[in-house]
Amino acid sequence: MKPSPEKKFRLYVFGFYLLLFVIWQALFSLRIIPDYLFPSPLQVGWRLWELGNDGMLWPSIKATLARMAIGFSIAAGIGLVIGMPMGMSRVVNSCLKSLFLGLQTLPSAAWVPISLLIFGLSDSGIYFVVIMSSVAAVAIATSDGILHIPPIYLRAARTLGTPGYAMPFRVILPAALPRIVTGVKLGWTLGWHGAVSAELIKSSIGLGYLLYMGRELNDAAQVLGIMVLTILFGLLLDRFLFGQIEHRIRRRWGLLTPA
Amino acid sequence: MTQNSSSVPAPGESAAAPAPAKLRLANVTKTFENAGQNVEALKPINLEIREGEYVVLFGPSGCGKSTLLNLIAGFEEPTSGEITLEGRRVTRPGHDRLMMFQEHALFPWLKVIDNVVYGLGWRPGYRFRPRLRRQKARELLKLMHLEEFARSPIHELSGGMKQRAALARALAPDPKVLLIDEPFPALDALVRARLYSELQDILVRTRKTIVSVTHDPREAACLGDRVIVFTGRPGSIKTEIKVDLPRPRDINDPQVAGYAGKIAALLEEGQRETIPGEKV
Repeated sequence: MKPSPEKKFRLYVFGFYLLLFVIWQALFSLRIIPDYLFPSPLQVGWRLWELGNDGMLWPSIKATLARMAIGFSIAAGIGLVIGMPMGMSRVVNSCLKSLFLGLQTLPSAAWVPISLLIFGLSDSGIYFVVIMSSVAAVAIATSDGILHIPPIYLRAARTLGTPGYAMPFRVILPAALPRIVTGVKLGWTLGWHGAVSAELIKSSIGLGYLLYMGRELNDAAQVLGIMVLTILFGLLLDRFLFGQIEHRIRRRWGLLTPA
Repeated sequence: MTQNSSSVPAPGESAAAPAPAKLRLANVTKTFENAGQNVEALKPINLEIREGEYVVLFGPSGCGKSTLLNLIAGFEEPTSGEITLEGRRVTRPGHDRLMMFQEHALFPWLKVIDNVVYGLGWRPGYRFRPRLRRQKARELLKLMHLEEFARSPIHELSGGMKQRAALARALAPDPKVLLIDEPFPALDALVRARLYSELQDILVRTRKTIVSVTHDPREAACLGDRVIVFTGRPGSIKTEIKVDLPRPRDINDPQVAGYAGKIAALLEEGQRETIPGEKV
């Protein structure tokens, strides 16, 4: 395996983004849309720089990430607790699966109104939205993961004398881990949608709040800048945190064929 | 010894050792229900396996020999008849009748040594003594020449190393009977030959009672003290052959090959018998 083709791809990717910026800048220069509605990449970058200097940016990023870290941890815990009996009992599975699949089709933002009604403008409402957005994905992935455990692991565990009470945590959960991690990754993305959506309406800090403020102030540069930033953080965490964990687990479980 | 041996007398039967039967199968049958139809997998099987004996169940694929192994392991219950280990009836899986599978089935979430330790965790004598468990696991890994890989994750081992680790894991809880379902099928000939000699080496050292399943006559002749030859579906014992060769046996030894030829001939005979039967 040589690193050269990957490096070449990286170059293409870099070129692609460069091209994207050039097109953006070109569209701006043509002035089809007035510049206060459609700023140039440089203006966006400058606005972000300003926000950073004003001490607005970093606390907001931290706030959103902290909400995600707490909210999503709770969601992952709940998802696992619900997903395990779903995976181990056909009855529980058939009851809950359609419910969770249904919940998963609900857009994250659709949780915001009910959270406003229940929690008002408090922060717990944001956690509520994060949890409700992501819990279904984790639960479904956990139950699917358990249902797809290669039977050989269960047989090996039984012949090695594993008592029934030890099966869930010593065998079933670890054996289902590769699929669970995939679900956790999806849940994180959905939770991220929920967090930013909720912050749009009911927060005084966070990326969603900055988006909302940008609109209030007719500051298109800020709106676009925060959007880019939100994408960037979402991508970074997905790719480099969860993506890495997923890759390592899949390799350990022998689910990747080393090229 | 076996009721079915009436048609073909088993050679060496008269020289049976007086050791008591460790594992006893009495009139064991198995019928599967498949889409409302009953499919007979095993005709009544009577078999006694003595302490320290290596018995190979040999037959064409689909003859029910793997089913029989599953019954002994306790994964499935016989439709009728009884399996007893040291006089106690077998009802469910447990480490006293530990099974090794065709695939290594090592747990990828555990390191090599933790895989070996795993089965010891449920043993009375080791239950609350983690240091004793590790010590025992290390000894076994040493026996398998895997001590430098004790802390490696499973995916870093080669195919042969994985099978050796699986063997170490299977031996750790000191099963009364070790059941091996087609040992080492997915390995190349050289690695297999080495594993055969290692398995026999361990056999000599530990005097383990082993039942294994194979459709390879050479493997049967190389490993077994007794080879039980099965007829095709539904499975029943056709005859048994005692392999009277000193251990360790080399898979390429001409005497082993001689026995293998004899066993293979019996299998072909059995197949000729079953083919017209299947058309009915």
